Amino acid sequence: MNSGQKIADSDKTVRSKVRNMFTGQQSRQGMWLLPLLGFIVLAVVLSVQTQQFFSAENLFNLVAQAMPLIIAAIGQMFVILLGGLDLSVGSVISFTTAILALEGPGFILIPAVFLLAGLIGFTNGIVVTRFNVHPIIATLSMQYILLGITRMLRPVSGGTVPDIVISAVAGSFLGVPLPVFWGLFVILVAWKILHGSRYGLHLFAIGGGIAAGTTDAAHNFGIADKRNIILAYMACSCFAALAGVFLAGRIVSGDPNVGLGFEIDAITAVAIGGAQLSGGVGSLHGTVIGAMVMALLANGMNLANISPFIQTAIKGAILVFVVAFQSRKRMGL
Amino acid sequence: MANAIYSGLVQRLLRVPPAIYVFLILLIILSISRPHMLNVNVMGIFIRQVVPLGILVLAQQLVMRVNSIDLSGGGVILLINYLISSSVFPGAPLWFFVPMALMIGTGIGLFNGYMVSKRRVSAVIVTLAVSIILIGLVQFLSSGKPPGDVPSIFSDIYNTKFWSIPTPVLFWVFLSVLMALFLARTVFGRYVSSVGANAQAAHFSGVPVERTVILAHTLAGLIAGIAALVQTASIAVGSVRVGLDLPILAVAATILGGVVFGRGEGGVSGPFFGVLSFALLFVVMTTFGIDDPGKLMAQGMIILLAAIFYGVRTAKS
Repeated sequence: MNSGQKIADSDKTVRSKVRNMFTGQQSRQGMWLLPLLGFIVLAVVLSVQTQQFFSAENLFNLVAQAMPLIIAAIGQMFVILLGGLDLSVGSVISFTTAILALEGPGFILIPAVFLLAGLIGFTNGIVVTRFNVHPIIATLSMQYILLGITRMLRPVSGGTVPDIVISAVAGSFLGVPLPVFWGLFVILVAWKILHGSRYGLHLFAIGGGIAAGTTDAAHNFGIADKRNIILAYMACSCFAALAGVFLAGRIVSGDPNVGLGFEIDAITAVAIGGAQLSGGVGSLHGTVIGAMVMALLANGMNLANISPFIQTAIKGAILVFVVAFQSRKRMGL
Repeated sequence: MANAIYSGLVQRLLRVPPAIYVFLILLIILSISRPHMLNVNVMGIFIRQVVPLGILVLAQQLVMRVNSIDLSGGGVILLINYLISSSVFPGAPLWFFVPMALMIGTGIGLFNGYMVSKRRVSAVIVTLAVSIILIGLVQFLSSGKPPGDVPSIFSDIYNTKFWSIPTPVLFWVFLSVLMALFLARTVFGRYVSSVGANAQAAHFSGVPVERTVILAHTLAGLIAGIAALVQTASIAVGSVRVGLDLPILAVAATILGGVVFGRGEGGVSGPFFGVLSFALLFVVMTTFGIDDPGKLMAQGMIILLAAIFYGVRTAKS
């Protein structure tokens, strides 16, 4: 992998070309074709098993169910591309629903939510880059602080969110339910950030350097790595807040436990989508596919009447399984 | 001249783990606000409550010294608590439960170690996922309800005292001394510190890096099994929520005690005082009427500030 000779050799045969396409060995986008196949297989199995699966109603419903995870996973992907992890995503989601359920006009609460999320991400980024704290420790402590604030604001679920949030999630436009437009909007924004801007390129550069063990590689090429890392944490929190707004619209109230375990689901989705947790490798389409695979799995397990407790156990097992087959040099955290 | 002494003194004071300062501050707060609480009997009860945490901290600091982390302790405690308190093994004696708990802990630790060192999986991911799997499994088996009662022999042992000091506290001190000797006097202890300082350099010096990490995780699993036994004895009933926040508290106490990833400056005594600080912190917060959300925030702030304290120092050196 480190020499041009090897790449040239691998290009000789069609078979290795195909293998590279599926395993994503030399790709910056990682292994996303295999999860896509998994997604198609799952969809086919589900549609054979149940008649109603391919009805428009069920598919739209599935999109609405999967949307919070898709949004949160896209946010998580920015941080994972840098070799970090954001464990505060779930808390940000709960926090967002709690803020939205404070009685107040929507035009104040909604900007406030994103402002606060940006502030949370900014704090995470500053602690990681300037104070040299490991991302996992920084975001873990942020998770606990936010959980405490959320439980203080709203000990049990209740309150009502502004009407505009509810109608933005529940309504439909031209016969298509609004969650589909949420999905299109989020994917377009993330695509612009990741694949359509210099910032996205810098993210891959910084992450690649971190994955290779030379943390200042991108810095030496004149990339403002610390600023970009802080921006990635802010993006992650803002996407989590967006997922929180969507969830608040669906459950119509504030719930301090709604985001519980969301960070792990988001990490699993990103990992299924072919991103390497050591950084530098990953893609937007892979992440979306990963989140859709998770949603289909949950849907299938619900149809098969599997206990929710076993479902969490299965999700954990999938995470271990997926991550166990990623090659990584670094040992430990 | 005076400047040099001053900076030397400051350097020396900065080298003391933050846990000692936190412990002293909390002790002063408590001695001013509730002086009658500071006697052996009351303090013994408070410290006895954190013994499971203290034992789990021994496991946590071992893996954190080799640049890893173990968040699976919550799942291990829950599983062992379930197996002891439910009717899976009706009427089984103590000598059956203790080896069973130790074997389960060791097995899970071995799995963690294998995944972390051989497969190079992120330790956070694998141990967190293992914890999630175990919690899901236990909640499924017990269908979310508390399973049952713990055999009374557990609480009988737990409630004994020697020279007015509770037995669990003595047991914790004994294990801590054992761990300190183990880290300071054995070859494995040296391997641990060299792997933590620089895994690559350790590898080129002939240290079996992978084996050291596996062994550290396996031992951590074994210690988590011990912690599970003590925790089960302390609550004396089956529960589906017991010990879930212990791994995070263990990380907090370890960092507060001056053992941060790969660096074991605080020794074993630093994290020991970290645990004692948490014992006092719970007492202080209860006496001042701070409830659950406040405790969560305090935990988070402590982890954050202790980590920043060490992070800034690493950046300077």
